[in-house]
Amino acid sequence: MKLDVNALGTFYRMAQEGAGLAAGRLTQMTGVDTQVGVTKLNFMRGTEIRHDFDDGVENVGVRVELSGGIDGHSILVFDRGSAETIIEALLGDSNAGLGDELSQSAATELGQIMNNGFVDGWADVLETAIDVSTPEFQSGTTASDFFGDLEEAPGDDDLALVFQSHIEAVGAETGFRHYLFPEHESMAVLLERLRSNEGIEYDKLEGFDRMAEQGAEEVAKTATTLTGIDTTVEIRRLNFVSLEAIPQEVANEPLVGVAFEFDGTPSGYLLFLFDEQSAREIVDAMVPMETDDETDEFTEMDRSAIKELGNIMASGFLDGWANVLDTTIDHSTPEFIHDIGAAAVDPVVIQLGESQDYAFVFDTTVVADGQAFDCDVYAIPDESDLERALNDLDVSRIDETPTTAEFADLEGT
Amino acid sequence: MKTYGSEPGAPESVQVGISELVVSEGNDTLKSYGLGSCLAIALYDPGVAVGGLAHTMLPDGDAAENSDLKPGKYVDTAIRALLRRMVERGATYTDVEAKIAGGSDMFQFESFGEGVGKRNAVAAREELEKLGVPLVAEDVGGSHGRTVEFTPETGTLLIKGNEDIGVTEL
Repeated sequence: MKLDVNALGTFYRMAQEGAGLAAGRLTQMTGVDTQVGVTKLNFMRGTEIRHDFDDGVENVGVRVELSGGIDGHSILVFDRGSAETIIEALLGDSNAGLGDELSQSAATELGQIMNNGFVDGWADVLETAIDVSTPEFQSGTTASDFFGDLEEAPGDDDLALVFQSHIEAVGAETGFRHYLFPEHESMAVLLERLRSNEGIEYDKLEGFDRMAEQGAEEVAKTATTLTGIDTTVEIRRLNFVSLEAIPQEVANEPLVGVAFEFDGTPSGYLLFLFDEQSAREIVDAMVPMETDDETDEFTEMDRSAIKELGNIMASGFLDGWANVLDTTIDHSTPEFIHDIGAAAVDPVVIQLGESQDYAFVFDTTVVADGQAFDCDVYAIPDESDLERALNDLDVSRIDETPTTAEFADLEGT
Repeated sequence: MKTYGSEPGAPESVQVGISELVVSEGNDTLKSYGLGSCLAIALYDPGVAVGGLAHTMLPDGDAAENSDLKPGKYVDTAIRALLRRMVERGATYTDVEAKIAGGSDMFQFESFGEGVGKRNAVAAREELEKLGVPLVAEDVGGSHGRTVEFTPETGTLLIKGNEDIGVTEL
C-alpha cells in the first residue's frame, strides 16, 4: 500500500467537505448555529486514539457501517453533556436528558443525520456512492465501548490514518468528534486510485512516527536539563493539514516564540511557542539573578535566554530526526518573536505556500508537572524534501535506531 | 471560520480566516486575527455601506492553478472577487475605495528572500492600481503582528498590534 500527497489531499478535502455538510445539517435540524473547527488527518497509534477517551468523561456515540466507495465504520462521538444540550434543543424540553428511549432515539437520529452529512461530503469528493447501515447508539467511558469490537480499529502499535473534525455549537460548550476507520483493503484500493505519482510505502510512515518520537523526547530532555524544570511530552502527533489550517490552530493570544529554518533532507521550519507565563518561568529558571521586575517586557537578557533554550532544543529535535533518517540537518540562528500567535506562524505558511497546498506538521506539546511550562513545537518540513527523505529511508533500520545522542554531544552546536 | 446558520438582520461579527473573504454591509464587523506576513484587504463603497474583507496569503493567483477555487488566498484574485461580490450587492465600482494592513516580515530567514510580507503589499498596490481602485490608507510592513476589524458602514479599519504598537484606526 502506497500513498502520496495527492491522495492525502483528497482525503483532507473529504474530511473538510463532510464536516461542512454535517454541521449544516445539525443547524438545520436543531436551529443551533454551528461552526467547523480545524479539520485534520492524523496519523495516530492505537494507544493514542484510546488515550483520547481516557479523560473519565462519559461519551455517547452513533456508529454506522459503510460500504461501497469506502468500507469501514464512521463514528460520531460527543460527551454526554453536549449530547444532552443538543437533544434538549431538538425536543424543546429542558429536562430531556438521555435517560429515556425517546431522547436516545432522538440522539441516534441526530447522529445518523450528521454521519450522513460526512458520508455525503466524502461521496461528493470521491464521485462515488457510499452506503450507510442503520445507526447504533453507543455510550461509555473508554475507547473500547465505541470501537473495541471493530476489526479495522488499529492495534496499540498500529499507525492509523484518522479523519478528525471538530464541530462546535456557536456560543455553547458543545463539541463533536468524528472518527472514520476504513478497512485496510478498501483503503489500499482508494489510495491506489487517488495516487498521482510514485508515492511512499505506507510502512515508511513508521519512520515519520519515529522522527516525531525522537524529536519530541529530545526537546523534553533538553528543556529539563537547561531549565531544571521537569518536563514531559504530553502530545505528539503527526498531522496532515492544509497550510491555512496551521495558523488557525494557534491561540489568538500573545505568545513568545523562537523560530528556525532548517536545511538538509528534509528542509523546512521549526517553531517553539510558549504562552507568556511559561516564557516568564523559563526566564526565571535560566536567569536567576535578575530581579523580578513587574513589567511585561522581555529584556534583551530574557530574550537571549529563551533563544538559547530554543537553539539547543532545535539541535536536539533535528538531531533526533537526522538520526532516524541517517542524514544531517543544519538549522539557522534563532529568531525571537513576542506577538499574537498566528502572526508567528503565517510567514512560514506563506513561504511554503509558494510550492505546496498541504503540509505534514509534527505537532508536539511539552509540559511540566505543577509549573507553567507549555511549549508547542511545530516542525513543518518542505513536502518534496520530506517525501525524498522518507523514500530514502531504510525501514529495516528504524527499529535499530538507538536513542539519540547524549545531551553532552549537543553542547557544541 | 465558516458559521452555519445565524439570525438575519442583527449586526454580526464575522471571523475572516486565512485565505477567506467575506462581503457584508452596515454595522457588521469583519475580523481577522493575528496577521503576520498575510495581508488584509478591505474594500468598501461609502455611498451604500457595502464592503468586504479578505485575509490573503500569497501575491499571485493568476500564476496558481487553484485560484478559482480559493480566490481569497491570493491578493490579486481576492481583490477582484471582493469587487465582483460587492457590485452584486449594490456597490458602484467607481466609488469603491481600498485600505490594506499586514504584510509584516517577522523573520529574516535566508529562504524568505526579500520578504514574504513585502511581496503581498506590493502585489496589492499593483492590482488596485490596475483596476483603478484608490488605495486611501495603509498600515503595512514592520516586524509585528496585527489583528484587524473592519466595518463596512463607516469604512473604518481598526488595527490592533501588540502592547508596544497599540491601536491604529484607518
